[in-house]
Amino acid sequence: MTQISIFDYGAGNIHSLRKAIATGARNVSVESDIRLALNADILVLPGVGAFGTAASAMRGEQDRVRTALADGKPCLGVCLGMQLLFDDSEEAPGAGLGLIPGGVRRLRTAKVPHIGWNDVEWADAGGLAGANISTAYFANAYVCEPDDPSPILAWTTHQTSRFPSVVRVANTVGVQFHPEKSSAAGLAFVNNVIDELAQCR
Amino acid sequence: MTLTNRVIACLDVKDGRVVKGVGFVNLRDEGDPVELAERYEVQGADEIVYLDISATNEKRSVFLNLVRRTAERLFVPLTVGGGIRSIEDIAGALRAGADKIAVNSAGVRRPGLLTEAAEQFGSQCVVASIDARKNHDSWEVHVNGGREATGLDAVEWSVRCALLGAGEILLTSIDRDGGRSGYDLELLSRVTGAVSIPVIASGGAGSAAHVEEAFRRGGADAALLAGILHSGVTDIHSLKRALRAGGIPVRIAA
Repeated sequence: MTQISIFDYGAGNIHSLRKAIATGARNVSVESDIRLALNADILVLPGVGAFGTAASAMRGEQDRVRTALADGKPCLGVCLGMQLLFDDSEEAPGAGLGLIPGGVRRLRTAKVPHIGWNDVEWADAGGLAGANISTAYFANAYVCEPDDPSPILAWTTHQTSRFPSVVRVANTVGVQFHPEKSSAAGLAFVNNVIDELAQCR
Repeated sequence: MTLTNRVIACLDVKDGRVVKGVGFVNLRDEGDPVELAERYEVQGADEIVYLDISATNEKRSVFLNLVRRTAERLFVPLTVGGGIRSIEDIAGALRAGADKIAVNSAGVRRPGLLTEAAEQFGSQCVVASIDARKNHDSWEVHVNGGREATGLDAVEWSVRCALLGAGEILLTSIDRDGGRSGYDLELLSRVTGAVSIPVIASGGAGSAAHVEEAFRRGGADAALLAGILHSGVTDIHSLKRALRAGGIPVRIAA
């Protein structure tokens, strides 16, 4: 039984994500204490709420979480959860995990937020052998800007901005889109990612 | 590629059932919300909207239960509106399983609600729902299900909603609602020309051609449909094929 913990920032819908991954030999729990969430085999950082709310929900445990992830703890970050992997965000003060050096910036496009279905253009599918998706649902006003491009597995373009839509460092995968809101293709993708991460523990 | 234009299925919900009226009145029973929402997802709906039109306090828990049941089975975004009066209402709907919240009358009465919601939950989940009725050369915002005029100009109020923190505008023409004569393109292009957040066209869809012109001429990012889907005039799959044939970028479900 793979134990999966969804870290609940207390700011939104995590039902769909939970339902999307709670299949087969998995035990999915929702945890509002990040230290307890870290005890699971796989940590999931969901994609709801604002950066400031989520950063304060970490209650100063950022260093502990970063160390665990850098040491190979499997983790999936969705949307805001991906942004939390970075140092900080223009959205609000507060520290991210700093696992991936770089910041989160507001989209500098004519139309913000970026809401709807867009393409995921894979640059390096090798980082996630068992997972693929070509069109996914996004809802973001902010995007990640890694200092170094090596964690980037896929890109997405909105108007004049091209930004990372999938990143990976060690056994942590971040996706800017919402697989749990991307219908059948999204469900297949997120379950393949979880399977792949489960083998890394 | 690029961001596709969205086709959104809207379900007006009263006492746990889908209903549809004309010009906001004359309601007719159209079925079970969860069943319909799932069917629309399979057909390729990009999002689902539930508008709680009973929206009385005693019916609130019935509605939130419905949202909860839906979120367990629906894997496209769900927007919930109707009867959202406070941050607590918003938090409750999100916790029940909504992805976005549509704020209508309460935003007019207390504009700060939009800002507080955006700060707490992120602007991408705050939809400003605006019901507009034409009045000579302009459009006036109405609240309370279209029953109460506010004196606000719909274009000006749209701009203000975006500044306050809304991440999207759901723009409904009361004049066109349920009439199947096409979206109010003039209203739509005025609003899409004035704001930089996505705008969802609502009220008046009768055919694929109407949806196409909402995107092409009205500048809408998304189009909301209800009656013509529920009554089977068209289905989302056929509609999207027609849109794609017309050169509109849309997602076609596999």
